[in-house]
Amino acid sequence: MSAIGFILAGMLAAAMPFLLAALGELVCERAGVLNLGIEGMMALGAVVGFIIVHSSGGHLLGFAGAGLASMVLALVFGWLALAVRANQVAAGLAIGILGSGLSALFGKSFESQTVTGLPKHALPWLSELPVLGGLFRQDVAVWLGLLAALAIWALLRFTKLGLVIRAVGENPHAARAIGYKVIAIRYAAVAFGGLMAGFAGAYASTVYTPLWAEGMIAGRGWIAVALVVFATWMPGRLVFGAMLFGAVSLSQLAAQASGVALNSQLLSSLPYVMTILVLGVISANRGLLKMNGVASLGEPFGP
Amino acid sequence: MTELNRRRFLQTSAATTLAAGVPGLAAAQESLGMAMIVPSPVGEVGWSHSLAIAMEKVQEELGANLTILENIPEGPDADRMMNRLVSDGNKFLLAGSFGYQNGAMQIARRNPDVTVLHASGFMVAPNFSPFAAKYFQGTYQMGMAAAALSKTGKLGSVAAFAIPELITSINAFTLGAQAVNPNIEVSVVWVNSWFDPAQEQGAAKALLSQDCDVIFSNAQDTPSVITVCEEAGAYVFNLNSSMAQFAPEYYLGCVSTDWSPFFLESAKAHLDGTFGGRNAFLGVEDGVVQVLDWNPAIPEDVKAQIDEVSAAIADGSFHVFTGRILKQDETVGVEDGETLTDEQIVSMDWHVAGVTTPLPQ
Repeated sequence: MSAIGFILAGMLAAAMPFLLAALGELVCERAGVLNLGIEGMMALGAVVGFIIVHSSGGHLLGFAGAGLASMVLALVFGWLALAVRANQVAAGLAIGILGSGLSALFGKSFESQTVTGLPKHALPWLSELPVLGGLFRQDVAVWLGLLAALAIWALLRFTKLGLVIRAVGENPHAARAIGYKVIAIRYAAVAFGGLMAGFAGAYASTVYTPLWAEGMIAGRGWIAVALVVFATWMPGRLVFGAMLFGAVSLSQLAAQASGVALNSQLLSSLPYVMTILVLGVISANRGLLKMNGVASLGEPFGP
Repeated sequence: MTELNRRRFLQTSAATTLAAGVPGLAAAQESLGMAMIVPSPVGEVGWSHSLAIAMEKVQEELGANLTILENIPEGPDADRMMNRLVSDGNKFLLAGSFGYQNGAMQIARRNPDVTVLHASGFMVAPNFSPFAAKYFQGTYQMGMAAAALSKTGKLGSVAAFAIPELITSINAFTLGAQAVNPNIEVSVVWVNSWFDPAQEQGAAKALLSQDCDVIFSNAQDTPSVITVCEEAGAYVFNLNSSMAQFAPEYYLGCVSTDWSPFFLESAKAHLDGTFGGRNAFLGVEDGVVQVLDWNPAIPEDVKAQIDEVSAAIADGSFHVFTGRILKQDETVGVEDGETLTDEQIVSMDWHVAGVTTPLPQ
């Protein structure tokens, strides 16, 4: 298998933990709530999902349990941010640390255990292609993840619910004035963010790297948060960004394995350098931010 | 009443004086307080695990008390926890990571009655010994087995950081492989992280996609690389503690470290008051480095050669880094007949010829 084939075959799966978590965060931020606890929610989802799959509850139950656990944690954040109106940045960080701590606690007796991942499903005809074929041999969670991205895009763009979510994020006072329950909608968005972070964690611990080790999320939650800004709150760009990110992180490994004379520390830091660059470019373009940014992001709302 | 009181008083005070007169008695009954801190969780496998089981053996042997603190990040937290351990009366302290060095050394200087063992550092004091394993003695043997089993002639290593300890183990792996097949090639992927199972698996897959068919999981504390290789049908081995259960078919073996002989010797010396700090670089000859769980697929003649090499390393008649050894750029690394000193080995910053990946500068 060539290096290109390796990258194409692996990049969707590598992108999936970022993508799932970032999709949830995107909806959450579109409703005006900045949740910085994604890393901890992913860790909690990862450990709960792993424990369920390890005790042979199956992947479906594992993902459900992971989503539920992270959703509960997200609702605690929601209560802090929406009911108590705490500073969202501080509350998110605190809940994130709590999630990481809880994951260590629950995972204690499962440290370094492994489970079996999901089998790959090949799309007929497409997966027979030379080089490109690997791109179309993925596990079912990848296909569902891509469908979820499509669904969220359609929801935000074409449905009334999507319009309401965006209105709540754009101008909560106006949304309330025309009769929408801003707090309830924000709670729902936060819960959805938690659910997706839980799925992302479960994907990381039971499918992509089917083992549990404390700290295995290794900063992917933070990258998810950055990806949302990277994508300027647009699901399409988010999919592109996550895939680019997955591809870059794999290509530096492929480059080393094939003996390319490049500095490996530099290669390892490429994904992060890329994020900083893109954030810089986006932030420099005021118009782009104004067009797509969420006006009330991070501001507590009190009627 | 008063007299009785006085008599009682005299009795108790006499007893007290008696006890105080033989302080050794009270001290001997109090068992040795041992403590260790490590930066990662003590799992079922891996580095922290290998330290913990060795300390537990010493604890059993000496009837000592053992406190294990895991997951202590290197830095001020670690210094505080180590101070706490010492003020709780622990006299034998194991600092299980390089980054604890400065804090542990301060504690050793302030408390001359405390003995400190420190993993992979370079500072030495009368009550402070750094220790490290000669993994390269084991990876050389692994290289011989790998070359015998490889069909493509390409071997790979997933490695954490380009530091001398990891570089030497890859070099020895390559030299061992060349002893069996002179044309063997070794590719290395540096993950640049001590802990990122997902990237480690990605690195292993990248090596497999380049036709490497024996993989060296270099300094990963989880079975991330092992499971990928078992799935792909490539032989794989790792350091520190056996992960054979994660790869029933393709587990090549484990370059294991059994620290208990060294810890026990140090703890006994501490109790006798004869402990002297030294730079402990320990290998096969000390019973610290051993290769376990050899895969039965290794051809018998190669296995016999490996056993010979292992015995020769133990009795000192063979050294892994004896010249002539060429560097990657074909210049001479070690002259004919010369042998690298321990100091040269622990500061090695070049790859031997046969490693195809350039070393990150």
